[in-house]
Formats: sequence, C-alpha cells, structure tokens
Amino acid sequence: METDLLRTKDDIVNVFEHFREDLDDNNDRRERLIKSSRDITNLSKKCIFLLHRIATEDSQDDFHSRGMRAVQQARPKLREIQRLFASMKPELVGDLYWRHRKSVSPGLQEYIEALSFSHYLEHGTLVTFDQVQKSIGDEDGPYFPLTISDYLLGLSDLTGELMRFAISAISRKGGRAKANEICAFVRRCKADFEGMCPRVRGLSRKQHVTNSSLQKIEDAAYTIAVRSSEYDLPDDILDDIVARCISGYDTNHRNYDRRPDRTRDRDGDEDDSDYY
Amino acid sequence: MDPQDLEFINRALDSEVELRDKIRDEVSELDKKTRSMVGVLNKVHSTPPEQISDLVDSVRPSLKDLHTTTGALYALVPPDQFWRWKDMWSNSMRSAVFSATLMEYLTSGTLMSMASVSAALGNEWKDRFALPAEDYLHGLITLVNELSRLAVNAVTLGSYEEPIRISKFVKDLFTGFSMLNLKNDALRRRYDSLKYDLKKIEEVVYDVSLRKLASAK
Repeated sequence: METDLLRTKDDIVNVFEHFREDLDDNNDRRERLIKSSRDITNLSKKCIFLLHRIATEDSQDDFHSRGMRAVQQARPKLREIQRLFASMKPELVGDLYWRHRKSVSPGLQEYIEALSFSHYLEHGTLVTFDQVQKSIGDEDGPYFPLTISDYLLGLSDLTGELMRFAISAISRKGGRAKANEICAFVRRCKADFEGMCPRVRGLSRKQHVTNSSLQKIEDAAYTIAVRSSEYDLPDDILDDIVARCISGYDTNHRNYDRRPDRTRDRDGDEDDSDYY
Repeated sequence: MDPQDLEFINRALDSEVELRDKIRDEVSELDKKTRSMVGVLNKVHSTPPEQISDLVDSVRPSLKDLHTTTGALYALVPPDQFWRWKDMWSNSMRSAVFSATLMEYLTSGTLMSMASVSAALGNEWKDRFALPAEDYLHGLITLVNELSRLAVNAVTLGSYEEPIRISKFVKDLFTGFSMLNLKNDALRRRYDSLKYDLKKIEEVVYDVSLRKLASAK
C-alpha cells in the first residue's frame, strides 16, 4: 500500500494519491448519508402532519378511533422511512456508523418523533428504546445501533407535537379529557427527562421547549377548569363552549377574558339562552 | 416511560459517563506527554546541527512511552466505536504525529509514512484504535509550519544548507497536499495557510543563495 520510506517526490505523490481516494470515499459517503437523512426528515414531517390531520379531523368518532385511523394511514409512510434506513445499512456497517453518526442523527430523530407520536396515538404510552431499535432493523438485527441520545432527543420533540395535538383537540368532542390526559403524560415525560439532561448533550435545550409546551397545555387546561366551574353543565355542552373560547388560542390570549359570544344556534335541540 | 425502560436508560447513560471519564483521564495523560515532547523538540531552533541527533535521541524514550497511553485508550474504546470518541484525543494525536515526523525529518531528511507513524505511536491499532488519515495530514501541516521557522533559525545558527533541504522537502509535501480534494473544514483552512510557510522558506533560500552562503541545489 505504501512504502515505509518516502525519499522521492514520486513516493510522496503516490502516498497522497492514496489519501485522496480515502478522503474522497468518505466525503462521498457522507454526502449520500446526509441526503438520505434529509429525505427521512421530510417524510417524517409529512407523517406527523398526517397524524395530526386525521387525529383531529371533524367527525363523530371518539378520539381513540380517530387516532387508530391516523395510525393506520401513517403506517405505510413509516414503513417507507424504514426502507430508507435499510438502504443506508451498507454505508453504516461496523465503525462507519460512528464515523457518520452526525450526518444520520437529524433524520433519525425526526423519525423517532413521528414513530413515537404514532405510538402514542395507538397505545397512549411512550415508545420504548427497544421498540425503536427493532423498527430500524430486520430479522438479521438492527441496521445500525440506536444511541440513547438520539432516542431521547427524538422523544423530546414528541412533547411539542402532543401540545399541538392537545390544543387542537380541545375544541373537539371529548377533547378536554384528552387534553388533560396529554397534559399528565407530557408532565411525566418532562420529569423523566430532567434527570438525564446533564448526561445527554442537547437535551436540556429541548427540555426548555418541552417546558413551554407543557405550559401551553396547562394554560388551556386551566381555562377549561375555570369555565367548567362556572357552569354546572354536561360535558358535551361544555365542549361546545370551549370550542369557541379556544379558537383564538394560538395567536394570543385575549379570548380568555371574554365570554364567547353565541351568534348562531348550534342545532335546534338545546336552548342556549338557558346557559347565559 | 415505564420504570424498566427508565432504569435501562439511566444505567446506559451512567456507563457512558463513566467511560467518558476514563477516556478523559487517559487523554489528559496523552496530552501531557505530547506537550512535553513538543516542548523538548522546540529546542531544535536553538540547537547547533551537530547536536541535533542527540536532541532527537533524548526524545525517543518519550515517544516510546506514548505506547502505554495509546494502549490504555485502545483497551477502553468499545469495538467499532473509535469514531465516537476520537474527537477527545485528535489534538494530542496530531501533536504526536508532528513530533514523530519532525524527529524522522531531523534524522533522515525524509517523510515518515502513515504506517510508520502508526507503529511509532502504539502497536495495537486494528479496528479499535487507528490513526485516521486526517490526523496524519494535520500533523504534517504542523510539521511544515515548524520547518518554516526552522529554515529561519538554522540560518541564524550558521547552517546555510538547511533552508534548501527544507525547501525541497516542503515543496514535495505541498505537491502531495495539492492533490487532495479537501472540503471546507479545518484541514482545508490549514492547507490554505501552507503557502505562507512556503513563501517564507523561499525568501530564506533566496537570501542565502543570493549572498552565496549556500550552493544552489
């Protein structure tokens, strides 16, 4: 491969030719992996949007069946991402994974976010490390080793999605119970992650985002608690009131201090004037 | 997170932290050793030519002594995980490469190959612990930086032929470097600075040959 003594210019040129091949090889591989990682990020984002769309769409079903429908439709998307991971396998064997980990991580974390969101909708729990690792592998074992740091950083993004889900679900039928459930879940996640922050690089920054997400859900839950204490009403009617009050939530809080005005009848069955 | 998974993750994180601490200890040891080696080699700028080989010989044991530290690192790094940890010691390793190649240049006037450097810094490399081409190349750039200083100081010490030898050696190296397709990283920036070293050496060569202090090659 190379001689031990490099006396002449030609010897040096020979050796550097070898270096060039080596460097080019690695740069090219890196570029390919970054491209795959970007594709995975893209697909994962689409998958998350899809889950949101279906899980909060207007329909008469309860949240569980809506969630299940979302999960069903997201499944092929997730599988497509898993196929992409499989195609990266040859470029990540042995120490190659560790060499190019930084190029793979962004897409992988986004995928874990999508996977954990879908998992939450289906089971109401946090996807485990093992489950994530198994999802990116086949009978022959994992395509590459999953790191705890990627797992946790991916999960940390889940809380943001759950916040969005809780806020948009709150105006739907049965949404307040769902929001409270999510609130408790995110609070548990936050507590679990807290102790790991000093040991996982980048987690404490994400923990800030988790905090503000949690606060948003708590604010919404607070509004609901206040409202429902004012009126001794059955749930489905409260749902309707909340739908109006929450409609301006994401932009600012001014709707909070205002009574929802009722401009039209919801339907003929109830007499709204009784409640005001 | 269910308690079992939580415990698994906490345990894994703990052992990661533990491993990192152990590696950090060895790396600071390696750092100490390479720094003192570079410190001694710095005397080359004030050492008359006839004493250079004694100076180099006095550093040889330190170079050999690196083996214990690189060996310890080698034992710590789990299989395949070389790249996960290598950033912790690259800087020390580059200084070590620089020291070894400088010693070889001072002894034989030739470029030490990557394989020889690897062997000089520790025997058991295999897939667990290796000298990446990038670190070798970084070490060579430091060598050129140092040689451009040596060209100046050699003249001060009355050694007029030395700049000409250095000039030839560095030019060959530069030809090698210019064959590489470097991406925009630290190596690229350092490569770009090589031309100033070349220029400095050229000026010294010009000065000594103009005054007929040395015979032109």
